[in-house]
Amino acid sequence: MEWLTNNIGPEGLKAIGQFIGINIAFVVVLMIVAYTVLAERRILALIQGRLGPNRVGYGGVLQPFADLLKFIFKEDIVPDKSTKFVYFLAPFIAIVGALMTIIVYPFGPEINLPFVGVIKLVVAQFDVGLLYVLAITSIGVYGIALAGWSSNNKYSLMGGLRASAQLISYELSLGLALVGVVLLSGTLDLYQIVEQQSGYWWLGGVVPIPRWNIFPQVFGFVIYLISAIAETNRVPFDLPEAETELVAGFHTEYSALKFALFFMAEYVNMFTVSMLAATLFFGGWNFPWLDLVVAPGGVLFALLSVVAFLLKVLFFLFLYIWLRGTLPRFRFDQLMNFGWKFLLPAAILNVVLTATVVFVIIYFRA
Amino acid sequence: MTTLIFVLLAGLAVGSAIALVVQRNPLYSAISLIGVFIALAGLYLTLAAPFLAAIQIIVYAGAIMVLVVFVIMLLNVEEEEHKPLRLGYLTAVAVLLAAVLFGEAGFILYFMGNSTLEPPDPNMAGNASNVGLTSSIGTGLFTNYLLPFEITSVLLLMAIVGAMTLARRVGLRPTDLVVPGSQVLPRHSIDPKAIGDATEVESSTTDEARQLLGLANAPRRRPEE
Repeated sequence: MEWLTNNIGPEGLKAIGQFIGINIAFVVVLMIVAYTVLAERRILALIQGRLGPNRVGYGGVLQPFADLLKFIFKEDIVPDKSTKFVYFLAPFIAIVGALMTIIVYPFGPEINLPFVGVIKLVVAQFDVGLLYVLAITSIGVYGIALAGWSSNNKYSLMGGLRASAQLISYELSLGLALVGVVLLSGTLDLYQIVEQQSGYWWLGGVVPIPRWNIFPQVFGFVIYLISAIAETNRVPFDLPEAETELVAGFHTEYSALKFALFFMAEYVNMFTVSMLAATLFFGGWNFPWLDLVVAPGGVLFALLSVVAFLLKVLFFLFLYIWLRGTLPRFRFDQLMNFGWKFLLPAAILNVVLTATVVFVIIYFRA
Repeated sequence: MTTLIFVLLAGLAVGSAIALVVQRNPLYSAISLIGVFIALAGLYLTLAAPFLAAIQIIVYAGAIMVLVVFVIMLLNVEEEEHKPLRLGYLTAVAVLLAAVLFGEAGFILYFMGNSTLEPPDPNMAGNASNVGLTSSIGTGLFTNYLLPFEITSVLLLMAIVGAMTLARRVGLRPTDLVVPGSQVLPRHSIDPKAIGDATEVESSTTDEARQLLGLANAPRRRPEE
């Protein structure tokens, strides 16, 4: 270790650590996304009273690989009069925008390893982590808008424009719903927000309630969840890619691997949004009463915390799939009405109330 | 290392700006402008202003440019044709102004190259500055710069209200005047004889209009909820 530190320097070591972290996070995210597709098909089938794909491998576990092979070997059709550069650029913007956000999420607490020292289980810790997530989400709009336009197809254009309008409308309520959490935590750094959710409130001195942000911010969480479902273009807000209306919306003209990129981008967005919900509202890697039982700082605690975080994220993914199987979709004007006339005022009201309560508490305590 | 990052980001910014001006297809220009904003955000990061970098991407690249891209897509703006330059003397003026710009840049480089000032290294222990952090910006905005902050928000509100007022369409009422090929004009605002081909709508209620047009037996639409 000393040889490495002397030759490369602490910065180089940190960079190598981050590189390894990025690779691990990337692989984990892609694996989970691949199996989310399979889980969605099986769970939707369960809700709809049929069996999903269960032939490939035992119970269908090799289905994602079969899908990947199919996408690679499909014929790649490029429409003749499309704007070629933008047509090729759009799925890359979508997938890059979706994947770039995973580096700020804390997967677990600090581990005290014998040789390496203390490492935090987060790839990159910025002090504007939350703003970074919002910024990358704003860039992801371009993938959809440019895809719709460059396909030279009026249904794609309509789908692309509708999707972009929906995304930028619900970004507002998304951001405002998160302001409540920022007011409570006093920081935009996701790692610190999770750390601040690790204590307990002692009800009556006996029952420990975990200090998660969901308890003071129930309305903020509901507003966030609705906005996030609209942001990821999922049911009940998935009119832009409604099969019965616009053929396939903005990705009508995309085939084979480019379509696979859009498809993956949607599921990675779902995963990102679920991770954000778990991080900001449900305490991130804090398993409810774990640190009363296992010693924090050790490897076992970190492992169980990572498992807890993944369980929360998987719960949100299940919620997404459940909603898809249950709810009908909004019409586009109902969708826009709801976003601007109800959700945005509700989010602003939430911010005002939270700010008032925080101010009162600070003023009367200090 | 900092120099390398600066050269990369500045090169991206200048290259995108040149592409923005040179491109004929307006959508490519819009994408180049997005590239410029992202490069600028990176430069803000090298100057230890993370909040400003994130806000630059959220506001400029993520909202304003989406609006511009919408307009280009909806209005189906055509590619520019290559037309001969009508005002020929503008070329000489452009060359003169470009020479002035390069002269200024050379002047700055010469004097900066000879100075002994170095920008403070943000990684050194004693140099931690609070200027770019979100909490400092927030504190400044709500204490020292509260009046400019509030005035700027009123300015933005004015812009929104102005846009809504200009874009309102007046609904067609039975006493309005319809000038073929033009917008609907409320009766009190024009003189029908002066316009010449203003056609008066002769009924004063919607039911009379339906009778006149022969739509009396047509099924009524459900009222809008």
